[in-house]
Amino acid sequence: MEIFLQQLVNGIVLGSIYSLVALGYTLVYGIMGLINFAHGDVVMIGAMVTLTVIRLLSGSGLPGPLVVLCGLGAAIPFCMMTGYLMERIAYRPLRNAPRLAPLITAIGVSILLQNVAMLIWGREYLSFPQLLPAHAFPFLGASISFIQILIVAGSGIMMACLSILIRKTRLGNAMRAASQNAEVATLMGVEVNSVISITFMLGSALAAVAGMMVSAYYGIAHYDMGFLLGLKAFTAAVLGGIGNMEGAMLGGLLLGIIESMGAGYLGTLTNGAMGSNYQDVFAFFVLILVLIFRPSGLLGERVGERP
Amino acid sequence: MSLLEVKDLHVSYDGIKAVRGLDITLAEGEIVSLVGSNGAGKSTTLRAICGITPFQSGKILIEGRDIRSIPPHLLVREGISLVPEGRGLFGRSTVEENLMMGAYSRRDAEIGKDLEKVYSLFPRLLERRKQPAGTLSGGEQQMVSLGRALMSRPRLLFLDEPSMGLAPIMVQKIFEIIRTIASTGMTILLVEQNAKVALSLCSRGYVMESGKIILSDSASSLLANPQVKAAYLGQ
Repeated sequence: MEIFLQQLVNGIVLGSIYSLVALGYTLVYGIMGLINFAHGDVVMIGAMVTLTVIRLLSGSGLPGPLVVLCGLGAAIPFCMMTGYLMERIAYRPLRNAPRLAPLITAIGVSILLQNVAMLIWGREYLSFPQLLPAHAFPFLGASISFIQILIVAGSGIMMACLSILIRKTRLGNAMRAASQNAEVATLMGVEVNSVISITFMLGSALAAVAGMMVSAYYGIAHYDMGFLLGLKAFTAAVLGGIGNMEGAMLGGLLLGIIESMGAGYLGTLTNGAMGSNYQDVFAFFVLILVLIFRPSGLLGERVGERP
Repeated sequence: MSLLEVKDLHVSYDGIKAVRGLDITLAEGEIVSLVGSNGAGKSTTLRAICGITPFQSGKILIEGRDIRSIPPHLLVREGISLVPEGRGLFGRSTVEENLMMGAYSRRDAEIGKDLEKVYSLFPRLLERRKQPAGTLSGGEQQMVSLGRALMSRPRLLFLDEPSMGLAPIMVQKIFEIIRTIASTGMTILLVEQNAKVALSLCSRGYVMESGKIILSDSASSLLANPQVKAAYLGQ
């Protein structure tokens, strides 16, 4: 029972991060039908920029949490800029091209970002200094660390803000209209190109936050950390139903929990033959199952339009 | 001065010359129909005027002002509104959200009043305001599309095949509503394959074939024209 609770807590924490990243995939997919495979690398850029700022400020004597906040304050605009430029330079010229072209371009952008990051930050694993309080709180026999609470609360707040933005604001109306019918949205007065730019920037801002969280949580950052994380978040988005916001949040949480549970129990179940190092298998096992049995995802049922 | 003037319009897309030298004028308060067979270039003409299909040459003037340099998303502020072919609804959004998108470019205080007007014109939509638009029947969807176009307070309303795919009784109803809208003094250009109904509603008509206007006359003369009768009225 203790293992169960502990793995549930870990899973929710991990899942919150997946949800944030999955939202970036789903927002972009919703509005232009593109799977932006470079999105995971924007998360990596977020982690790297946060770390760079933290290192610059490490001797300044500022309190740890404030230093992390400064790092995040730099990473968010930097990632938003990355997202904006990515769309502007790589994807916009291919707006009317066959769907395969932007998909391959996305993979190209991903490789480009990883290599640029490797040139700037090197091939080594960078460590995230201990700036946030490390103590843990007991909770029903499990323990929750300060940073875990921060991650869950932070992503919860970000997702709530995003939901309000999309549901209640003028920009949100424009985004929803453009994602359903860009041409008619234009007729209504929506400038679809700027809506697409803003969508990329929103997704990238969430990615920046996720990047800070993931590097603070695991204590390391690396130029190709975005690859696996991106694939898992993509899996989460597909699990929830790609293009569906609530789906991305749900899919992220579920995937996080499935992974943690898998990691926690795999050793016992296989009698020690497989350990928690097989954790990554679960995400892709889930992806395969979803694609076979429910390709539209858990919440991905679309309202049919009568002809 | 005419409200809309289209001069020598040429539109090509995907290598097809869909419109080749089209001229149309619309005076304020007129309801005019543009009839022609499938593929004559009617929809392309409307799409070009509304800015969603680029045109190669020619002039489109609104009250004498060339609108070529106006970006497509700002044309709605010039008073242009299109009810697109196939209705073009936001299927997952509710009826009311669709209607409110029609007022997206407006910032005045009378949007709520206009929404009430649309609901009084289409009481069915009031009943279904919280329903996703994609779940409505074809006729109801056409009402949403018409209502949404009205929400922008257009001066010039373009209707692209509003009767397409509807049951005969719905066709009648939609045309009744168009008549009501026209009676408010709205300027309307109605594109229809259903030439007989369209012409009976309008004062004037244009007949289009292979990207050009081949006939332009009063609706009654067109209805009596043997050539039109043979080609478009099935008589």
